[in-house]
Amino acid sequence: MRALLPTLRAPRGFSAPAFLAYLAVIALVALVPQLSRKPLILHMWIMVFLAIAQGSAWNVVGGYAGQYSVGHAAYFGMGAYITMLLLELHQVAPWYGIAVAVAGSVLLSVIIGSITFRLRGPYFVLASIAMAEIIRLAALHFKDLTRGAEGILLSSIPPLETRWFTVRFLGKVPFFYATLGLAVIVISVNWLVQHTKLGYTFQAIREDQDAAHSLGINPTLHKNLALMISAAFTASAGGLFALYVRFVDPNIAFGIDVSVQMVLICIIGGIGTILGPVVGSVVLVLLSETLRNPKWLVQAGLLGDESPTVAFIEGRLSNAHVLFYGVLVVLVVLFAPDGFLGLLRTAVARVKRRLAARRSPPGQPAGAA
Amino acid sequence: MTVFLQSLLSGILVGGVYALIGIGLTIIFGVMRVINFAHGDLLMLGMYVTWGLFTLFGIDPYLSLLVTAPVLFLWGALLQKVFINRVLNALPQNQILLTIGLGLVMSNGVMLGFTSDYRILTTTYSSSSFQLFGLSVSQPLLYSFLVTVAITAALFWFLQTTDTGQAIRATAQDRDAAQLMGINVKRMSVLAFGLGTALAGTAGALLAPTYYIFPQVGGPFTLKAFVVVVLGGMGSIVGATLGGILIGVTESLSAVYVASGLKELVVYVLFLLILLFRPSGLLGKSRT
Amino acid sequence: MPAILEIKHVSKHFGGLAANSDVSFDVGLGEIVGLIGPNGAGKTTLFNCITGYYPPTKGDVLFKGSRINGLQPDAVCRLGMVRTWQKVRPLAKMSVIDNVMVGALARTHSLQVARRVAHEKLEVVRLDHKAAFLAGGLPIGERKKLEVARALATRPEMLLLDEVMGGLNQAESEEIILLILELKKLGLTQVVIEHDMKAIMRLSDRLVVLNSGEKLAEGPPREVATNKDVITAYLGEAVDA
Repeated sequence: MRALLPTLRAPRGFSAPAFLAYLAVIALVALVPQLSRKPLILHMWIMVFLAIAQGSAWNVVGGYAGQYSVGHAAYFGMGAYITMLLLELHQVAPWYGIAVAVAGSVLLSVIIGSITFRLRGPYFVLASIAMAEIIRLAALHFKDLTRGAEGILLSSIPPLETRWFTVRFLGKVPFFYATLGLAVIVISVNWLVQHTKLGYTFQAIREDQDAAHSLGINPTLHKNLALMISAAFTASAGGLFALYVRFVDPNIAFGIDVSVQMVLICIIGGIGTILGPVVGSVVLVLLSETLRNPKWLVQAGLLGDESPTVAFIEGRLSNAHVLFYGVLVVLVVLFAPDGFLGLLRTAVARVKRRLAARRSPPGQPAGAA
Repeated sequence: MTVFLQSLLSGILVGGVYALIGIGLTIIFGVMRVINFAHGDLLMLGMYVTWGLFTLFGIDPYLSLLVTAPVLFLWGALLQKVFINRVLNALPQNQILLTIGLGLVMSNGVMLGFTSDYRILTTTYSSSSFQLFGLSVSQPLLYSFLVTVAITAALFWFLQTTDTGQAIRATAQDRDAAQLMGINVKRMSVLAFGLGTALAGTAGALLAPTYYIFPQVGGPFTLKAFVVVVLGGMGSIVGATLGGILIGVTESLSAVYVASGLKELVVYVLFLLILLFRPSGLLGKSRT
Repeated sequence: MPAILEIKHVSKHFGGLAANSDVSFDVGLGEIVGLIGPNGAGKTTLFNCITGYYPPTKGDVLFKGSRINGLQPDAVCRLGMVRTWQKVRPLAKMSVIDNVMVGALARTHSLQVARRVAHEKLEVVRLDHKAAFLAGGLPIGERKKLEVARALATRPEMLLLDEVMGGLNQAESEEIILLILELKKLGLTQVVIEHDMKAIMRLSDRLVVLNSGEKLAEGPPREVATNKDVITAYLGEAVDA
């Protein structure tokens, strides 16, 4: 069957209408805080943007290059901790702090890559998990450095003063724009990867590393490159997240659920695509935030204050989101390995074929199986 | 010196349970070539079943094994038939994701049903200990170890002498050849996963008197199970046994001589070293 | 004829097993050398050693006059030598055209140029009509052709074909044979591992026979085919030549 379906990838190359649509969406989204200041709604968007950033960052190394790291919390947590430590203990402004955090995480990724990329398949996965756990346990133990299990609580964020304006980090709006900005950047990086030689190189390594090697590709170099790019943006997301929630501890930063969630975002949405992590993020964040804070539905005007649904969720399901993640993953792996996006594309392709068949007489193209 | 011996002894005793977990995982991998990331959560289920039987009916955890093990076996067989079977020929990444998903469902399902409260199972002998050559031996740990020895011996006997056991070993060695010889490899997979689950559940039951029981307890055990299996060699039962004991001892000695908070870290560092320098483990078969 | 590839006393040991033992021969510029021998003779191992998949245990490989043993496969490719695989290795979830573009990108950074080259090579193997199809869905014959197109896109001077006709029917094999002969006319040097005796006799300027890791015979096809040792190696000791 698959031989008949033309490739489902979008045509490679810059498409002006698509780009304009993309800009329009960003502009629309950027207007949201001007229309509504309801905190839970803004919070949802912020969590979606952070999830998109993390998922898209993972996608570079996991989706395009095919290296399934389930230990990306190492970079997320490194980003969070360095930013927080510099700010809270040394009064370094977070815009510098995050830059340092990114540099630190990229360095960490080179170290982790040099160890783990010698391994393939499940051994690589296991090693990546072990590395994140080692860092988490170290963060718990070396209290003088990290304050251990107590964590770091942020007292305040200094205002960002430039020549033209001052940003005070009070309330959610500044974080809305900061996280939106990060999400846009990471999505753009994904687009660049997919539409340049780098994308071809990464995907060749994913499909068959040895074949790629014989075709002039240096797998070690490129796997490390993918990881460095991925680590940089994962760390940025970690730093912003820590600043937003104003607290970090070893489990929040380096816990395996952080790593697993990044993978789930891509799997559920559609791995190795630009929109996949976006779709996955929306699904997962909607699910988890609705279960954690069902009141957002009230604030959005979707449900009444006294709604029994809200009461039910608050009463019974408040931490069930991970259960639903698990169910989703099982369903996706078994029935939709290319994620929601893959399902959508298959449906579209099927419709296209039916329309084409109606237009031309029966008499299949060569190669009909 | 006594400190060293004491620590060594506790390490061996705990190591026996790690061995049990590892054996279960290695059987699953050996027969089905599936990397089971839900293994620790299967252990967790064993813990809860044991706790349930103890709290509701007062049955001693070592006796309730007679119920826990078969129940977990059936659960494993069901998981294999409904879910795992569909990904036997899929990419390893998908197998991993599927088992991760199943693990999440199990641990969070339990959390929904029983809350995340820590449960404890205190028997009359939970904190008792024997004195052996001047060393203190925890009673429950000793019982666990003895049960582990008995189970491992029974397992060896089963795999070496019975027809089914030999069929399992044949499938683990060469799936296609086994099929050509008339062995029902599908049935072997169900048996293997059931057996592996039962062993994990048993390990959980054995740990129940001395560990906190909570829904997320499985996670670290999954990773440790992999360390055991990789150290011993994927697919080797003897290797998993040795590996388990070695890991138990490493952990115990690290707690004393490095730092209590770093004992697991040492195990994971050891894991990375093995993966890098001797990935086939002590006694392992290479992955085809 | 100047030698483009010189294999000098190459041995490859895996633990106790000698997969290649002291193999030496040259390949002249523009030649087609057929590399034959019973299963397990060490032919693919030799290819792997030559292309840098693993280094030879002993001996040297010279390509265009310089030593290449010890180089990584990507470096070997850039020097102008590329191979195909006995068990065909398409980049399954990428399209046919993308597969060939990966090869073309060994020589250029531009996607446009790579796409043009890819279409060219697909036309050479008559697969251009399937450019947009997923590589993993192609039947075996087309996957083999795809692999050849992909290798050609790296603009090699030398092509190593490992049982490229394995699993193909008469018509498909004939297509490949004609392709190989055409590539020779374009100046490509080729070493072909093949079990199809008729094909190899038609194609080769010279034959090299391996058996149990050692070189058994070398020479023009007619001569090698009537060599007693070669016949014995293929048919076993019981045959009287």
